[in-house]
Amino acid sequence: MRFLAIAILAAVMLASLFAPRLAPYAYDAQFRETPNAPASRIFPMGTDDIGRDRFSRLLYGTRVSILLAPAAACVSIVLALLISVPAASRVPGVGLAVSGLTTICLSLPWLFLFIILRAKLPLNTDPSTSVLLTFGLMGVAGWAWPARVFAAAIREIRQSGWLLQAQAAGIPPWRIALLYGLPHLRSIAAAQFRVLVPAYILSEASLGLLGLGVSDPMPSWGNLLQDLQHPDIVRANPWILAPLALLVIVMICLELLQSPPEASL
Amino acid sequence: MNASTTTPVLEYCFTARYGKREVLHQVAGVIQAGEIVSLVGLSGSGKSTLALSLMGLLGYRGGIVTGSVRLEGRELTGLSGAEMRKLRGKRIGYVPQSPAAALNAKLRVRTLLEETWKAHATTNASAEDFAALLESVQLPGTPDFLQRRSGELSTGQGQRLLIALAIMHKPALLLADEPTSALDAITQAAILRLFGELNQRLGTAILFISHDLLSVATLSRRVDILHEGRVVESGPPARIFREPAHPFTRELVAALPRNAFPEA
Repeated sequence: MRFLAIAILAAVMLASLFAPRLAPYAYDAQFRETPNAPASRIFPMGTDDIGRDRFSRLLYGTRVSILLAPAAACVSIVLALLISVPAASRVPGVGLAVSGLTTICLSLPWLFLFIILRAKLPLNTDPSTSVLLTFGLMGVAGWAWPARVFAAAIREIRQSGWLLQAQAAGIPPWRIALLYGLPHLRSIAAAQFRVLVPAYILSEASLGLLGLGVSDPMPSWGNLLQDLQHPDIVRANPWILAPLALLVIVMICLELLQSPPEASL
Repeated sequence: MNASTTTPVLEYCFTARYGKREVLHQVAGVIQAGEIVSLVGLSGSGKSTLALSLMGLLGYRGGIVTGSVRLEGRELTGLSGAEMRKLRGKRIGYVPQSPAAALNAKLRVRTLLEETWKAHATTNASAEDFAALLESVQLPGTPDFLQRRSGELSTGQGQRLLIALAIMHKPALLLADEPTSALDAITQAAILRLFGELNQRLGTAILFISHDLLSVATLSRRVDILHEGRVVESGPPARIFREPAHPFTRELVAALPRNAFPEA
């Protein structure tokens, strides 16, 4: 099952990476004479309301979602590490300040902040800006949860017997951090990454559905799903459901990779 | 004049506290070069705090030491972290209680040896050096063993490895914090014998911290009894067994099996 999940994810990843080669048209190429066309040899999944090829847009949109969600997760994790390491310092007050900041960050209604921020931006915001903004904000806003986990791990390390043994042997602190501490944090970072990637994919999809994510003409899973709001078009062209199906399949694969090998289905 | 014959290896008298809670009250002791001294107390009596204090590591656990700790005549309280680090592992070795907790399971035996070596040496150690060290604690010095991860070792092997790491730089003093309490009876006896041998061979003074009066008594020249953060009694083991003075020591001795200590 794990193997299957990895294979599917790899295939989706490759297809989206080679979107420029695989897609029959550019994502913003409009065929004004054939809007809302059904699936055909020319348009494998039909066209949207302004005549853009849905298949090409799905490939490009997948690229945006599947590449930028991990990038945003990396941003969150690096931020979390940068913030939680000083939290473990012995300077009085620093740990408390960081933990307080984390709590505030976890309590903020990020969706509202997002809506306010997007409302401030002009309607004709450059699509690539909107992409960077959407994922950048998710990445920056998402540091708090992994920071909690890192801070707990660092606290545990500070109480550990092996840290004491290494200190008692006179090994320099930076060697201890690099050699003894980092491997521990690395496995936690990997676990956090596996949790954040699907969370960000879903967040982008939800924001896109609200029209707050990546803006037209740049496709993403989020804004491709917007068409689902019009049931009559879906009835006319079921291929509109393809982004949803792909999203669900990718999410299932990512969830399958969450569980340790022996516990997976 | 040879300083080592006159200056004690360790001489301490200090108070240790965590915040307002005082854990050790004016504990004092002296260890001469090459001597084995035991410090016996129940859990919670402040044994581990004492070990951390002597190594200047209590600060990392949020504690404060006030008083004096002199290692080979040099006052340690007030030394900077960097100066203290140069002494730890070099002049004062530490053998912790449980190999399972004290060895980072992911690290290889070779890595642990190399890092411990590099902490105080500028030259590289050869595989033969490590093999000789491992053999001196009755561990195989084979390349195969060096490649093992410490998590794959048995408890007895792990404890021997911890001892090897502690004696690598031939410290003047070895601080052994309950080094046998995680071991079965047979391994425990073997490890105690090993400490005796190392003391004879290297001339290393040993402060043996334990809850088990009987196991350490035969090795030690002197036993200090630690009770509720105070050294309540101190003397040669034979005297402690025959005429324990403090009520706590009497309780401790009475709890031993009859005729357990042959000299008593």
